[in-house]
Amino acid sequence: MSDKKWFSLNIGKEHKASSKCGCGNASGSCNSHDSGGNAGIGEERVKDGFEQVFEVKMDRRSAFRKLTASLMIGAGAVSTSCSMVAGDEAKEKAQIDWEEQFKGNYKLMTDDEKKATVDRLVRSYQLRTGKNIKMSSKDAQEGVLFGYAFNISKCQGYMDCVTACVKENNQDRNSQMEYIRIHEMKDGKGLDFGEADDNYYHEVPAEGHFYLGTQCFHCDNPPCVDVCPVQATWREDDGLVVVDYDWCVGCRYCMAACPYDGRRFNWSTPEVPEEEINKNQHYLGNRLRKKGVMEKCTFCVQRSRSGQNPACVEACPTGARIFGNLLDPNSTIRWVLENKKVFRLKEDLGTEPKFWYFMD
Amino acid sequence: MRRLKVFKSLVVDSMRVITHGSKNYHIWMGFLSFIMLIGMYCYSIQLDQGLSVTGMTDRVSWGLYISNFTFLVGVAAAAVMLVMPTYVLKDIDFKQAVLIGEGLAVAALIMCLAFVIADMGGPSVLWHMIPGIGVFNFPSSMLTWDVIVLNGYLFLNISIPFYILFRHYQGREAKHSVYLPGALISVFWAVGIHLVTAFLYQGLQARPFWNNALLGPRFLASAFAAGPALIILVLAIIRNSTAFKIEDKTIKKIAMVVTVAAQVNLIMLISELFKEFYAPTHHSESAYYLFFGLHGKSALIPWIWTAITLNVTATVILTFHKLRNNLRVLYFACVLLFIGIWIEKGFGLIVPGFIPGPYGKIAEYTPTLIEIGVTIGIWALGAFLFTILAKTAINIELGKLRYKGDN
Amino acid sequence: MMKSNLNYIISLLGVLFLGMQFQSCKHKEGEYHSINDKIESESKNYHGTTLSSEAFLGDIKTVEVTEGAHSFLIPERKSHIKSYACTECHSKPLNQMQGADSEEYQKAHWDVKMIHARELTMNCITCHDGNNMNELKSLTGARIDFNKSYQLCSQCHSNQFQDWKGGAHGKRIGGWAPPRVSMTCVNCHNPHQPAIQPKWPARFNTQKVLERK
Repeated sequence: MSDKKWFSLNIGKEHKASSKCGCGNASGSCNSHDSGGNAGIGEERVKDGFEQVFEVKMDRRSAFRKLTASLMIGAGAVSTSCSMVAGDEAKEKAQIDWEEQFKGNYKLMTDDEKKATVDRLVRSYQLRTGKNIKMSSKDAQEGVLFGYAFNISKCQGYMDCVTACVKENNQDRNSQMEYIRIHEMKDGKGLDFGEADDNYYHEVPAEGHFYLGTQCFHCDNPPCVDVCPVQATWREDDGLVVVDYDWCVGCRYCMAACPYDGRRFNWSTPEVPEEEINKNQHYLGNRLRKKGVMEKCTFCVQRSRSGQNPACVEACPTGARIFGNLLDPNSTIRWVLENKKVFRLKEDLGTEPKFWYFMD
Repeated sequence: MRRLKVFKSLVVDSMRVITHGSKNYHIWMGFLSFIMLIGMYCYSIQLDQGLSVTGMTDRVSWGLYISNFTFLVGVAAAAVMLVMPTYVLKDIDFKQAVLIGEGLAVAALIMCLAFVIADMGGPSVLWHMIPGIGVFNFPSSMLTWDVIVLNGYLFLNISIPFYILFRHYQGREAKHSVYLPGALISVFWAVGIHLVTAFLYQGLQARPFWNNALLGPRFLASAFAAGPALIILVLAIIRNSTAFKIEDKTIKKIAMVVTVAAQVNLIMLISELFKEFYAPTHHSESAYYLFFGLHGKSALIPWIWTAITLNVTATVILTFHKLRNNLRVLYFACVLLFIGIWIEKGFGLIVPGFIPGPYGKIAEYTPTLIEIGVTIGIWALGAFLFTILAKTAINIELGKLRYKGDN
Repeated sequence: MMKSNLNYIISLLGVLFLGMQFQSCKHKEGEYHSINDKIESESKNYHGTTLSSEAFLGDIKTVEVTEGAHSFLIPERKSHIKSYACTECHSKPLNQMQGADSEEYQKAHWDVKMIHARELTMNCITCHDGNNMNELKSLTGARIDFNKSYQLCSQCHSNQFQDWKGGAHGKRIGGWAPPRVSMTCVNCHNPHQPAIQPKWPARFNTQKVLERK
């Protein structure tokens, strides 16, 4: 196999190395990813949707309610807002729901409209939970183009970035949604993602491996933006590729178009425990999502637009993550691009990612 | 004003026609309604809980729905194979078949739209797509092109037969000058809908399995095989169960179309296989997964080999005049071809495009029962619609349904 | 009949061609060939932004560093060293405080274990000055302030020093916006045991395992 001079695929053959623990650590401290380590979790069979629903005891009435529920949302909102009996709060809530359902695309909103929808969302959260959140609609600033650099010699695979990201961005805990993937790559195999493992669980750094993180690369020529039929996703002036969660129709065309696995879909209603919700939010960033819409890394727009580093950059204990303004000639990101040997993934696709990799 | 009156009478009359029929007809319609109800129930669960009740994941984000959508666009496009000879080339043999073909196109298009809506995460905000009140990302997004061509084709395929039937209902001849331009446009339009649907996938640089120039032409070839094959089967059923006369000559001519398209489809398949396996690159991994399995993952192998076997068998049968001209063998070959292409254009095309993922990870896809429920529900909807349309059209053509005059 | 066919084909092609035109100029940033061109041209007249990361620094004290073309802030160090100034204990030169007969002095720094280069290369006095414990010393004996200990490290680790100055090594505090505050060597590396220890990843995604079964 190895003496072949041409490219060949390894099909169907289970690799010897992959049946052992990937880290090659002989001491036995490495807890293998596929076997043992998560056997307990694997055994817990997750029911598919059909079973989940059909095993639930349901009387005819509740079944009927379910069937008609979707049709009733609109009618319900109207009737509540007109009803004399309903309390003021219920009326206000219905009013908000109604206006939210029929608002326009955020990208095309005036500043006043943006402020209005943000206010509605804050008020709606207050009405529902009695708690206050802070939501921003801050626009891109002139003279800013965000860029990111990732040092593959420094990353040790601790995944502190992933944890920080999940917390910061209020990602769904049930489906364990994660924007960031850390790929454990084998030394000497180049950038062979097929040989890499992005779900390891053993002491890191494992010998003979290096780590490479991927997330949304905020392409300057993003294919996901072109394909969206309703312009629910677009590139902001500071280079961030964002999604208007309320405008997205959930067709997932952008997901098919993304060559970098940068997009995530809410297959069911995302859930975050109330006490873990990050209340510092941005309309285009980490505000709470609903089911059936796309979401993605926004370089923590709620943080980066005010000068702060994204959560992953801040959480990284190794300094492998560098973030900054590409237009500022004195920025550290510019120094990295100009002085280190940088490369990007799948550059041949012409997507122009603003996410570079480099080595020491 | 008179037209309105005639139209009202047509609606009333056709209501009477479609609600009356033989016992078999009632059983058939009852069966379809039952399936549709199951589909609606499954869809209500999906609405309630989200798309997590389907087998789709972030890895394989399009599944059974989009597969069926892709296939049915082909079926709809195939009506052109009957329209062109009938209206444009004035070949009378096709005349009886064309109304049926167009009815089939209408039913297929409605199913396409239903599948797309079933696949949406937020069907309640679909108005975002309507130009004017929403934002229609034309011409950048191929999906908007698809919306335009599908709806345009639907309009053409409703209006042309409607005009003809409306005239016949009143006992008059349909004027060529009225429907011929529409028929001509629909010929190009049919090619357009399938090409645009292929471009939907073909234009994604992220998915090398789809991103090849042959995808569009192969879509057309397979569509012009599967669609007319279905029409042959439908004509056979109509011939046997109604008084509507369809000559052997017509069926044999359509069979000719099916044969050529199936042969071209096979040639393109060989070309594709050659490209993927003679000099395999990293981009051939999806094809390897589809045909041989990758890293021990092999869910699609039985499907695709079944499809290829069916396609090859059917094409061989069709190629021999003696076999093709035997109607029983022909029907058998059409069934094989239809199923073969359904697998090939559905499961064999959409799912492997996502496997392996952008970073080489393999997560396989198996549809859940709910997904299957919704899917057969939509197929039943299509069959239901087609039965209604065909029954009305046949009764008008047979002269049983006529405007009773202005009294 | 043939002629009308031809007309239709031509008009259809025309529409398609027009569509392609739209398609190819849909990127408004079309004047740039690549992101590098864009960065270069748009940053030519960069005037800075109004953003500042100062608010995110917390209440850390900083000292300014100017090395070559780079000028930035690093956290102040001395106030974080337990019992600085060292001369509070080290009242005499080190060699007088060491030795078996010194009953009057407590044993100190017993917890400091050197795992940094080989013994042949380094020991305590490579960096510490036995005669002036309040400051560090370079290889040539020049004094180095505890706040600027990076000068000590950079004597050997010149590559890391280069990267650190530019911002490729190490980590920024606060945010990306100016002022730049970078952690200094000793904020991450224990100078006596500079290697970073392995540990377990912060999380494990069980859902991914299910997906790929």
